[in-house]
Amino acid sequence: MRRLLRLLASAAGTLLAASLLVWGLAELSPGDPARQVLLSRGVAVPVETQIEAVRAELGLGDAAPVRYARWLGGALTGDLGSSWRTGRPVTAELGERLPATLRLCLTAVALAILPAFALAFAGALGRHRWPDALSRGVMFAGAAVPSFLLGVALLEIVVVRWGVGRVVADGGWADTPLPAATLAAGIVAQWARVTRGALIDAASAPFADVSRARGSGELRVLLVHGLPHAAPPLLAVAGMTVGGLLAGAAVVESVFTWPGVGRLLVEAITARDLPVVQGCVLAGVLAFLAGAVAADLATRAGDPRL
Amino acid sequence: MRASLLAGTAAAALLAVLALAGPLALPDPDLPDYAAKLLPPSAAHPLGTDQLGRDVLARLASGARVTLGAALAVTTLGAAIGVVAGGVAGYARGPVDAAISRVVDVLLAVPSTLVALAVVGALGPGLVHLVLAMSVAAWAPVARLTRSHVLTAATRPDVVAARMAGVGRGRVVLGHVLPGAFLRVLAVAALGLGETIIGLSGLSFLGLGAQPPTAEWGQMLAESRYDLASSPWLLAGPGVAILVAVSAAGLLSDWLGERL
Repeated sequence: MRRLLRLLASAAGTLLAASLLVWGLAELSPGDPARQVLLSRGVAVPVETQIEAVRAELGLGDAAPVRYARWLGGALTGDLGSSWRTGRPVTAELGERLPATLRLCLTAVALAILPAFALAFAGALGRHRWPDALSRGVMFAGAAVPSFLLGVALLEIVVVRWGVGRVVADGGWADTPLPAATLAAGIVAQWARVTRGALIDAASAPFADVSRARGSGELRVLLVHGLPHAAPPLLAVAGMTVGGLLAGAAVVESVFTWPGVGRLLVEAITARDLPVVQGCVLAGVLAFLAGAVAADLATRAGDPRL
Repeated sequence: MRASLLAGTAAAALLAVLALAGPLALPDPDLPDYAAKLLPPSAAHPLGTDQLGRDVLARLASGARVTLGAALAVTTLGAAIGVVAGGVAGYARGPVDAAISRVVDVLLAVPSTLVALAVVGALGPGLVHLVLAMSVAAWAPVARLTRSHVLTAATRPDVVAARMAGVGRGRVVLGHVLPGAFLRVLAVAALGLGETIIGLSGLSFLGLGAQPPTAEWGQMLAESRYDLASSPWLLAGPGVAILVAVSAAGLLSDWLGERL
């Protein structure tokens, strides 16, 4: 229980520091927020009194700590300000895009599990023989091929050449497989490498020799003794990848015009829509920390020593 | 392990020749020729021409300078900031160390792509901004390594001897401790090089880095996307270049990592 509290406190500290970073970066950014807000309200060429009124409304004249405290208070109660492009609340824009991103990321994770384990077991069982070489080759390729290259190539071959699916995705299930597979390719390489390493470690441990002496086959040694051994590092990496997907999906979502949070972030950066950028980055940090905490809790729950 | 060193060195040498000698020998990469749009590979244009009739090989070579130059800049800048911050933290200790370590912890606890996106979001798109943004994300691991190297060195016999001989603490850190961290810093920095190349070309692909008409590999790929159906060679040029560069970085950092 005290462990859990300490874990949460440390995550909250990181989140607080990240919020200071996100807020401070926006402060450093060139441009006058008042003019941007007026622009979003349809006032392209404001007069001085209008700018003054919005400055007072936004409280831009206050000292920096006061403004940060006000912004943080708003963020904690779900108010991240309004988009400079659309004038709508940032939380509404985020909420609209979140389901598509969740669908994409969860599908990618589901797709990645089986190939990752297959590669890891091929590598560990066939160590120093062709299955290991093959699995290492696939892992190296998976890490070296950037997702935008794979995505563009897949889109070109599957959609344009074969005529399967659509070029512009609407975020529904029918369009999910291709972007999810693109996202999954990177995850597979990462998970397989960690699992293979842990399985190989386990196979040379004393408990594996004991198990072999009692007549277990190599597969049984890996399944019964190797997998639990591989669980903690795999869980840690899995938590980080799942939590990091919100950010990592930005590229894949943009390639497939997927209406998710990642693409919202890229659009907001291009349009210099700072409140939306802040909201997306904070959501990404929150997701990443949640993934890390969940992985930590799962490890503790599964390991009697902790 | 010799094989990965050989392959990595060969690929890196190939890219170096392309980046250094290519722009001297090839036609102007930014000069459009509307009479020669989307030509397939031929003797005059070994990798074909793009949607504005520019020579793809020439753009690939000048893009090598941009992409690889920016990646090396990020790595160097990140390593430099990391060594200074880590060295200062390890030397000063106390509240300075606590402050720097806290920032490092936060940066390491957040995905580096997200940090880079946040910084580019604040500064605005552009190649220089992207390089700065990725350096902000890249220095933390080097700082952590350097700090621990400096802290553990305090009780080393040669360091104690130097202190007893009257050498000041600052000179000990600069002259006796930091040089020993060089190879390890290099290994940690090289480890991130492949990911930096992917990140740079990826964010440029999204339009957040190099802007047209600058040739950059990810940016080239983005520009030619809509002509791939008729001209698939436009994918091959920058695609293979990125793959070769990332593989070379991976192979060399693997080799370096196992040497230490």
